[in-house]
Amino acid sequence: MKRFLARQLARLTIGLCGAVLVAVALSAITEPRPRNLPAYLLAVLDRLHHLAQGDLGHSAISGLPVLTELIQHLPPTLLLLVAGAGVALAAGLPLGILFAFGSLRRAAAPIMQIVTATPVFCAGLALAFGASEILHWPVGFASRTGLAASPEEALRLAVLPIATVGLAGAGAVQLALRRSAARSAAASFRGGLRRLGLGGFEIELFYVLPQIFAGLIASAGDIVLALVSAAVVAEWVFHRDGAADLFVKSVALADWNMTAVILFAVAALTIVASFLGRVLGFLLARGQTS
Amino acid sequence: MTRNPTIIGNILRGLGWFGLALFLITMFLSDFLAHAPAGMEFAGTELGPPSDAHPFGTDMLGRDVLSETLHGLAETGRLAMWAALVAIVLGGLFGAIAARLPRPLALTLRGLFGVLGTIPPLLLAIVIVGLTDHLFVAVAAGFGAAPLGFVRAFDRIDLHSAHSDYALATGIPSLSLLQRDLTYDFRHVFLTVIARALTAVTIIVSTASFLGFGAEPPARDLGLIIAAAKINHFTAWWTAVFPGLALILFILCARLAAGLEEGERA
Repeated sequence: MKRFLARQLARLTIGLCGAVLVAVALSAITEPRPRNLPAYLLAVLDRLHHLAQGDLGHSAISGLPVLTELIQHLPPTLLLLVAGAGVALAAGLPLGILFAFGSLRRAAAPIMQIVTATPVFCAGLALAFGASEILHWPVGFASRTGLAASPEEALRLAVLPIATVGLAGAGAVQLALRRSAARSAAASFRGGLRRLGLGGFEIELFYVLPQIFAGLIASAGDIVLALVSAAVVAEWVFHRDGAADLFVKSVALADWNMTAVILFAVAALTIVASFLGRVLGFLLARGQTS
Repeated sequence: MTRNPTIIGNILRGLGWFGLALFLITMFLSDFLAHAPAGMEFAGTELGPPSDAHPFGTDMLGRDVLSETLHGLAETGRLAMWAALVAIVLGGLFGAIAARLPRPLALTLRGLFGVLGTIPPLLLAIVIVGLTDHLFVAVAAGFGAAPLGFVRAFDRIDLHSAHSDYALATGIPSLSLLQRDLTYDFRHVFLTVIARALTAVTIIVSTASFLGFGAEPPARDLGLIIAAAKINHFTAWWTAVFPGLALILFILCARLAAGLEEGERA
């Protein structure tokens, strides 16, 4: 147990340090660009020195400190990610359970393959088209402003990006659940528990289910990666003013300080989610077996 | 990594490869199959709906959407093939080689690629295009997909397998061992790796183009065609739907060829 936690903590620390180095290496490429390797290495050291003093630099576009700018843009993206994760769980869990235990999987496989083959931007445009033409909803990129007149309209404007991100995450959730269920199905403890006199329902409920959910939680990093990727595209498609949209604009306008900070935030989110997922999954599986 | 081969699984894989072969032929013959040259404006009326003359309709500049879709498909396929090559060499192949390097160096590389793997491939590709040029979108997409391939290949190599221990004991050089691993372990999954890489990079390339970091006019890939159609896709659905369907079908064929499970990311 202690060994596992120590190993996971070491992985977390190394991962976060690596993410800092990648971000610093990127932010060192500012104007005027270093022309040779020694100059670039000096720029990296200079950036590290500033970072140690808590100075993350300024945005080349707005002139504001990058942290201030990030804090302004992060809440809508986090909200989108959290809501998207909620949709992903709400849609992915039943799908995963149905596909893992039922014969529905074979019937639904072609549809699932087509849905998974659809790039997020195509899915976003299709959802927008459906919402606009069938439900007559306002769509962010149709109005070009993304500003809502009423709370109801604001909710409708928010639904489409959330649904886009959620659907992308649902695929990852159902797959993680299905794989975890497949692993549990092959577990040797079922036979032993049956010989001890436990019924099938008891085994599934008290022993198999926690194992399955432990596997799902352990895949948190993969799920977060899918959600973040989808959020970048969804914010761009629906003109949401979040950190992901800011990232695209920052790269387009060569604002490397801003880009580096957002990239670090994304990497840190995935690394921390992976760490928490692995630890919680381990504890859940262990608590169930002990 | 892949499901156990079943009859249905093998049929689906065969269908996927057949579809990819058809796409490849279409890409090579796109100039002959298309009604109009790439980017030719006013081939018909602006935003004309599908008709006998223009089966997929025309876009806001009067370009024939069928011709543009075929040219776009050729461009997407060309970029995706280069990107897949980069992803396989820098990801799978380099990962397998890196695992055999001296341990401190191998673990450093594993750590670096592991960190890069926590960044979504699309974001990584966009940054590389931003640092270089739109011309490098294929390399960028390949590089974006490479970290996860590297990690997967690196972790796949079993340094303490029976044959590795035997090689170590008998003094067989690591290079020969690597050659053996690449020949015996990877030859069975080589086609799968190609299809998997093609799936991943096609999504990255087309999405990067959609966001404005990919192909540049006059060369338009499917992502850029769909991005241009976004402005009027409510009133002229055919400008986005047909290129979108072509893209989805191409990715679907690659997914089936790779034997990816439903919902599995490439």
